[in-house]
Amino acid sequence: MGSLAPGQHAWSEAHRPYPTTLPVRTYVWELPVRVSHWFIVLSIAVLSFTGYYMHNPFIVATSRTQFLMARIRFIHEIAAAVFISAFILRMYWFFVGNDWSSWRSFWPIHKRQWRGMGQMVAYYSFLKKDLVHHVGHNALAAVTYLLMFTFMLLEIITGLTLYTWVRGSWLLGWLFRWIPGVIDIQHLRLLHFCIMFTFFAFVIHHVYSAVLVSWEERNGLIESIFTGYKFVPRHELEEDAKLPK
Amino acid sequence: MTWGVVQVFADQEPHIPGKDETMIPPNETFYGALQKKGVTRRRFLKFCTAMTATLALPPRYVAQVASALEKTKKPVLVWLQFQDCAGNSEAILRSSHPSVLEVVLDLLSWEYHEIIMAGAGHQAEAALQRVVKEEKGKYLAVVEGAIPLADDGVYCTVAGKTAISIAKEVCTNAAATIAAGACAWYGGLVAASPNPTGAVGISEAVPEAKVVNLGGCPQNPANTAAVLVHYLTFGELPALDQYNRPLFAYGRVIHDQCERRAHYDAGRYVQEWGDEGHRRGWCLYKMGCKGPQTTFNCPSVRFNDSTSWPVKAGHGCVGCGGYNFWETKSPFYERLPNVPGFGADVSAGKIGIGITAAVAGATVVHGIASAVRDRMRTTPPPEKI
Ligand code: HEM
Ligand code: SF4
Repeated sequence: MGSLAPGQHAWSEAHRPYPTTLPVRTYVWELPVRVSHWFIVLSIAVLSFTGYYMHNPFIVATSRTQFLMARIRFIHEIAAAVFISAFILRMYWFFVGNDWSSWRSFWPIHKRQWRGMGQMVAYYSFLKKDLVHHVGHNALAAVTYLLMFTFMLLEIITGLTLYTWVRGSWLLGWLFRWIPGVIDIQHLRLLHFCIMFTFFAFVIHHVYSAVLVSWEERNGLIESIFTGYKFVPRHELEEDAKLPK
Repeated sequence: MTWGVVQVFADQEPHIPGKDETMIPPNETFYGALQKKGVTRRRFLKFCTAMTATLALPPRYVAQVASALEKTKKPVLVWLQFQDCAGNSEAILRSSHPSVLEVVLDLLSWEYHEIIMAGAGHQAEAALQRVVKEEKGKYLAVVEGAIPLADDGVYCTVAGKTAISIAKEVCTNAAATIAAGACAWYGGLVAASPNPTGAVGISEAVPEAKVVNLGGCPQNPANTAAVLVHYLTFGELPALDQYNRPLFAYGRVIHDQCERRAHYDAGRYVQEWGDEGHRRGWCLYKMGCKGPQTTFNCPSVRFNDSTSWPVKAGHGCVGCGGYNFWETKSPFYERLPNVPGFGADVSAGKIGIGITAAVAGATVVHGIASAVRDRMRTTPPPEKI
């Protein structure tokens, strides 16, 4: 907050130990995590715009030769390929990445993660004044990401099913052609369309909470998704290293 | 004995000589029967060509189709009607296409069809009984309409018997059963929610029957004829998809065969009935056309003698060839189905935008509250830095 005098800061009593150990520049997000993150962001932006146009072509072309819809669909399909690739890269990194990007950090398998979720909910709902610090994801964020990964997977499955409805290879056909027999193609489209809005809602919340937490923790959280480094006080880092993974 | 079916139609075809020769013995060859009716070889081959094309076979099959039909003995056919609007019968009867009309009527010895048979009452029912007994395993059955199962099937009875008991008797003894139209396939409109009569299609009502489903509301008579021609030419039913629909008719998406497709790709859409785009024949996507979701061969085979089909006539496709289309393809004038649990006039887009806006609003409020909380924090003494 800009109203603080020089030399002052807004950390509360709970943050007391913070300045007592110096922040360590820590490599948290490895390159594949950052790369997949940004490709997913970009491709979702493109997919949402082109997808919305395919749902409701709000621009009606006057030209006979510009093939507006055909091109938009083409871009959707290319962006989908990028999206799927980035998604697969991230899934792969679940298994070979560091502790903070491992699949284990997403599933609430430890009691402390459930406790952590409770603490985050209490913080967000103003029942608790201070944020508990985490080196990687906090437990609440982690399950939200898990949910979003599920939605992404669903979006990929419905998208590829819509794609095989009109085109596609033997492999895609073999994988997805049975689906419209179970859920009819119109409701698959509805699902594909509705999931898009969960991304919108998520992005709003995600950007907001990143800014908020970055501000509260003063740890370079926002920068970390570009550079990979967070500034974590040594004692927090040591505590994190002691946690059973 | 042919119940004067052919007579009815011969009367409408004054240009065919020898129209008074209406009694065609059932065991006569089909081509012989056509010749007696004065159908020239040229018209016969034209028909064979049309059927070969409908079956999506290469042209070299025309000769095979023709020679098979020349030799084939007329099989017996019975046409049953249950919970229906007679639209499929009408579709066949409306086809003034000389070839389809003559062939569908003359290719087969029609022994029973409630709408067009001359006989009535006990006489008509006796004919059906005779076919089931004497032609057992050899005749073809066409079923039109749904079969109600609720309350022991009392909601549809013919000659004092329930539809289900008639269907069981007739379809299990038939060589094959053709389910003509949406209702016979899976219950159609009759089975649409809430389905008070417990209506089902023929495959569900009589699982033992060998069924070809010809979806559509109505089915396309050209496809019905083509299935029969395939059966007579090759001695077996055409290749079927997972719904037992012939692949030649239901194997391709309408949208990929549509004459308005270039407008779709160009982004030129009808926005309102009767607007400039509508007058110029642009794509009906924004008017809820379900062509992209439906597989059927309407754009190439068309209806009423290949005159037209809904999209050509300026109305979006409602997806009648698809499974359960009353439920899955409605609302007919909207892009997507309604979201379950929300009213009919709230679209998925409105719900989605609403939720997104709500999240954005909540975020702003939360942001303000968090800033306030931050201000209220006690500032630690400066020496702590
Ligand atoms: C974040 C990811 C995605 C978003 C937000 C998204 C959004 C959309 C939207 C809104 C539509 C229009 C649905 C409608 O008709 O109302 C659509 C259609 C479509 N999407 Fe996606 N999509 C995504 C990913 C994918 C992926 C991964 C594929 C895979 C190939 C895909 C393939 C398709 C296809 C083929 C259609 C066309 C449906 C048709 O008109 O035939 N999408 N998408
Ligand atoms: S009118 Fe319907 S089927 Fe034809 S191109 Fe447009 S959306 Fe496709």
